[in-house]
Amino acid sequence: MSVNIFVLFGMGAGVGFLSGMFGVGGGFLMTPLLIFYNIPPAVAVATEANQIVASSFSGALAHFRRGTVDIKLGTMLLVGGITGSMIGVAIFSSLRSAGQLDLIISILYVVFLGTIGSLMIVESLNAIRKNRGNSDTPTELPKQYTWISNLPFKMRFHKSKLYLSVIPVLVLGMLVGVLASIMGVGGGFIMVPAMIYLLRVPTNVVIGTSLFQIMFVTMLTTIAQSATNQTVDIVLAFILMVGGVIGAQFGAQAGQKLKGEQLRALLGLIVLAVCIRLGWDLINMPTELFSIGGGAGH
Amino acid sequence: MRSLLLSISFLLFMSVVQAQVKTDVQIGLSRETVEISSSFDGTDIVVFGSIENADKQALVDGKYDIVVVLVGPKEEVIVRRKENKFGIWVNGSSLRFGDVPSSYSVATTRPLAEISDSNDVKILQIGLENLNVVPDEDFDAIGEEKVFKESLNRLKLSQNLYSESIGGVKFLSPSLFKATLSVPANVPIGRHTAQAFLFKEGKFVNAQFAEMQVKKIGFEQFTYDLAHRNGLLFGIIAVIIAIATGWLASVIFRKD
Repeated sequence: MSVNIFVLFGMGAGVGFLSGMFGVGGGFLMTPLLIFYNIPPAVAVATEANQIVASSFSGALAHFRRGTVDIKLGTMLLVGGITGSMIGVAIFSSLRSAGQLDLIISILYVVFLGTIGSLMIVESLNAIRKNRGNSDTPTELPKQYTWISNLPFKMRFHKSKLYLSVIPVLVLGMLVGVLASIMGVGGGFIMVPAMIYLLRVPTNVVIGTSLFQIMFVTMLTTIAQSATNQTVDIVLAFILMVGGVIGAQFGAQAGQKLKGEQLRALLGLIVLAVCIRLGWDLINMPTELFSIGGGAGH
Repeated sequence: MRSLLLSISFLLFMSVVQAQVKTDVQIGLSRETVEISSSFDGTDIVVFGSIENADKQALVDGKYDIVVVLVGPKEEVIVRRKENKFGIWVNGSSLRFGDVPSSYSVATTRPLAEISDSNDVKILQIGLENLNVVPDEDFDAIGEEKVFKESLNRLKLSQNLYSESIGGVKFLSPSLFKATLSVPANVPIGRHTAQAFLFKEGKFVNAQFAEMQVKKIGFEQFTYDLAHRNGLLFGIIAVIIAIATGWLASVIFRKD
């Protein structure tokens, strides 16, 4: 395929800048961008998983040095993640041979980006309004006595000061693993809120622990995708990695100068824009109705 | 089976023709291997040829026509059509074709229809519309097969894998000719066949084949072979590169 190295590097740097600025992984923006740039979705997804290995590795390393990783909780999430990743790669292969992979990737993105983008905008607008109005009332988490605390197979996680059932941990890890292999994302945008609101993990270990899980799940996904679908483009991944790590540095500096609520509203708008573009491609009649694919893959 | 029948009929055809006249065509390629490196962005192949033992007067009068074809390795292709279901465009009906030339480049002295209006071009499968590409499966709707086949050609043309060049064959002298065929950047690797067909006043006279290899070299070949022969190892290497990049980034940009 003939693509421009500098465009790809720029995309890596641009998404890296945003992920550094907002503290998000960026896979959920990078994969749609690659698809818009006519990289086959199958290749975009598998290659993006490879890129996330690099960004999550350096992130997880920094958190590990600071001691903000709950290894035990991360390992349990990982057990679920490995299972999910294997299921995801199998689903990926069968969708691909049925010719429906591109469609499912687009639909999943429209649903997830639409939901998350809307939530971010609503949440940040509320925060901005609250700041303008009277005093800041700290949003308190509801008490922990939810259905989750009634589940069996409880386990003690010292670092997180938690005593909770492994079932929601395994299920969450698995869900994120499936998404990682089908959508080419780390899954932090689901795992972080779920860990905070459902599992009550202390916020200081949430990011490090989720990066720990994402790093290993994307490693496994990269290897599994390469072995079963041969869809990892090592050169493309490397260009994106280098662009990504450089962009993230500048993004992190820029992020410190801007206000949190405005940042989240801005990211919400970007996420919604990508969602609308993908959704438009689904409902708009394509100029070319036909497509060709190899019988045994390219 | 189909190709066997075709080659038998082709041989019969040639032997009948050769019994009458011994006019022959000889060709040589400007290169017998095309090497794809990381910077490869397509090239041209020049096919030189000569008409031998020809009718001198007919040569001078320009009664001979040449068609040169460069065919890539055969592949299986699925053509899919998007259909609107519940408001979104999804891949609907599909048709699988076997033995599709992965690439097909044809150069002629004149438009094919002017060179021969007989069945010769159909039998010899010269030109995109005469390629004997048949679906592997039965397709219920009559007429649909044609639509899918035309779409296959159209998509291959848009990917530069198929091309037609009228006037791409030039006579350097009454009996010497030169054809320029384009090899696109995305040319499939494998064995390609150059075929030169000689026509005289609308009738097929003789043909000559030559082979050309397309292969990847250097880094391209290394990654391609590894990815396709040992995907597991390729994936592990991809992960190691990613870890090294991530580690290097944390060393360079470490703040504490």
